[in-house]
Amino acid sequence: MTSPPLAGDGTHAVYTGRTTSWTTVASTCVAGVLLVLVATSSGGAWSDLMIVLPLLLIAIGVLADVLTASSVRATAGPNGFTIRWGSVGWPRCSYPLDRIARAEVIDLPWWRVSWGFWWTPRRTSCTVRSGPTVRLTLPNGRIVTVTVPEPVAAVAALDAAATAPRDT
Amino acid sequence: MRWAIDHTSRERLQDQIADCVRRGVATGELDVGEQLPPAAELGAALSVDRNTVLAAYRQLRDDGVLEFRRGRGARVASGGPDLSAVTEAARSLVATARLHGLGRNELIRIIKELT
Repeated sequence: MTSPPLAGDGTHAVYTGRTTSWTTVASTCVAGVLLVLVATSSGGAWSDLMIVLPLLLIAIGVLADVLTASSVRATAGPNGFTIRWGSVGWPRCSYPLDRIARAEVIDLPWWRVSWGFWWTPRRTSCTVRSGPTVRLTLPNGRIVTVTVPEPVAAVAALDAAATAPRDT
Repeated sequence: MRWAIDHTSRERLQDQIADCVRRGVATGELDVGEQLPPAAELGAALSVDRNTVLAAYRQLRDDGVLEFRRGRGARVASGGPDLSAVTEAARSLVATARLHGLGRNELIRIIKELT
């Protein structure tokens, strides 16, 4: 889709996107149901509290996971690239433009999807689906992979900001 | 969603942000029910104050473009103004202009003269 950028100095062209991982939501719910089944099938004499308490804990766990680990928000523009994970926006990673050596769109195969927020010594991965994905390479060689709805637009916003003359 | 604002423009920043959302809805870049970024995050990305973004969102809510829900942020309203006719007309305008060999900038100039 083409969107005409406004001409003139002082222009801020920014891309924002949100991706929800329905896979995470579904797998959490399935795991929660399984946990309930295992808990109730173990038998024995259960008091009311013994049933309600685990159910409550599982419900809280499912809710917490859905709230914190099901979506990823990304912003790209003159202020760099920021990833916010989950509804509360934590963990959060921010990369100013001068810390991004290269930004590109890669085609992520499904077996490389991290299905969550991963931080390893050489990589930061925040991917919830396969397909076109933003990949940043930092000056120190660190590789950052993030799922955004329109990776081409996100990379275009970063490129435009990197080549534009800095007026501030 | 793409946002473009001009800090040097005379037009108020909140109006520019609101125009971005309207354009997104008109072009289909924003779907009905889609959640907009939290005001603080969009403000940080656009280098404007959070309250400027909130003012834009509120203006859009009053116009029926957005709806606010507690704890769920600002979303594109379902009963918003239907701009598909405008998009359709613009599409045919662009096609006609292309037929007559007019580029994008000429077209924009013509529209600017008319409005």
